[in-house]
Amino acid sequence: MNHQDALKEMAVERYLLGELQDASLEDFEEHLFECPECAEDVRAGVTFIDAARTELRAPRRVPVPAVESKRRWTSWFTSAWILAPALAACLLVVAFQTFVLQPRMKLELAQAQAPAVLNPLVLANAGARGDSVPEIVAPAHRSFVISLDVPSTGGFSSYLCSLVAPDGALLWQTTISPEQARDAVLISMPTDKTKEGLNTFLIQGLSAGGTLEDLTKYKFRVKIQK
Amino acid sequence: MNFVTFDASYVNKLRAGDTPTEQHFITYFSELMVLKLRPRLSRPELIEDVKQETFSRALSLIRSEGGLRHAERLGPLVNSICNNVLMEQYRNSNRAEPLEDEAAARLVETGPNALSMVIADDTRRLVRQVLDRLNERDRSLLQAVFLEERDKDEVCQELGVDRDYLRVLLHRAKSSFRALYSQQTGAKTFH
Repeated sequence: MNHQDALKEMAVERYLLGELQDASLEDFEEHLFECPECAEDVRAGVTFIDAARTELRAPRRVPVPAVESKRRWTSWFTSAWILAPALAACLLVVAFQTFVLQPRMKLELAQAQAPAVLNPLVLANAGARGDSVPEIVAPAHRSFVISLDVPSTGGFSSYLCSLVAPDGALLWQTTISPEQARDAVLISMPTDKTKEGLNTFLIQGLSAGGTLEDLTKYKFRVKIQK
Repeated sequence: MNFVTFDASYVNKLRAGDTPTEQHFITYFSELMVLKLRPRLSRPELIEDVKQETFSRALSLIRSEGGLRHAERLGPLVNSICNNVLMEQYRNSNRAEPLEDEAAARLVETGPNALSMVIADDTRRLVRQVLDRLNERDRSLLQAVFLEERDKDEVCQELGVDRDYLRVLLHRAKSSFRALYSQQTGAKTFH
């Protein structure tokens, strides 16, 4: 056996593991006594194994993970400079909801659920022919009732009722069937859906061909009760 | 690495009785003979006897006329003499166990021995470093083979590896240990 053979066959490891026997053991030991490199390797192996026997008796020591020197990009989430203001903001939101929003909502819910006599604002002919513009004092955050007539002549398939704010913005829109248009239409209008000032209800007829035709406009003034 | 070369000059110095060369010869082959003999002889004094007898015969042969014609065969000569002395030792102690029938597995003995007793703390620390780097399976493998002295085939089967894996694992662990040792001590050899 020469050194290359010994390396190729992993003879040192086989020797240390006690896998060589008979002729192969004799061959390797003869080589071992003439090859300083293999002799050195066997000495290292035996030293390692002897020390390992002692060390393997002891329970494994779990190394303490090293502190990362480079911080992750997400680490700023846990920074005290971010956490403290975020926590304070959360507390403010919770306090606002608990002490302001919830009592107000409870009150509004109670008011909405309570029976009440409604005095609708009748818009029939309002603003038409130069009549004075009716005014309603609408309760804040509640609703009021409007009564209006839809001109049901012309055989329209339906009617489009649009509420236009004083600044011309479309606030609300609904479709009215011809059956509903036979009588006065009552509309419950949330005050928050309107704007203070001169509002207009535009009534349009929708033909079977899909074209819209202006039928009438009802103007009324809204004053919100604070 | 710088290794000693057993050449004509070395052998001539031995023949001439050069003390440093003789001391090197004794130290170098002493270690090898201990490694060779310790799985085969249970008692340290028997190992010592075989060593002494081997050195005595080897030096006599080297110094005799025509005793060693090829200097590069010095190592195999010592090994051969050691084998003969060991055989005689077996016969004398009625342990007629021929060398070739010796259970090679006994090389991996678990009990404390002279060598393990003198393993330096530094060496153990380096070995600990090597073992700590191993994963749980590799550590269990070495533990079962070297510490518990379990059947290697059985252990390999249990851990889902083959014998080649075990050899490579030992090779890597040993290489890591040698690298750490050299790095730590600057020494080229183990003493």
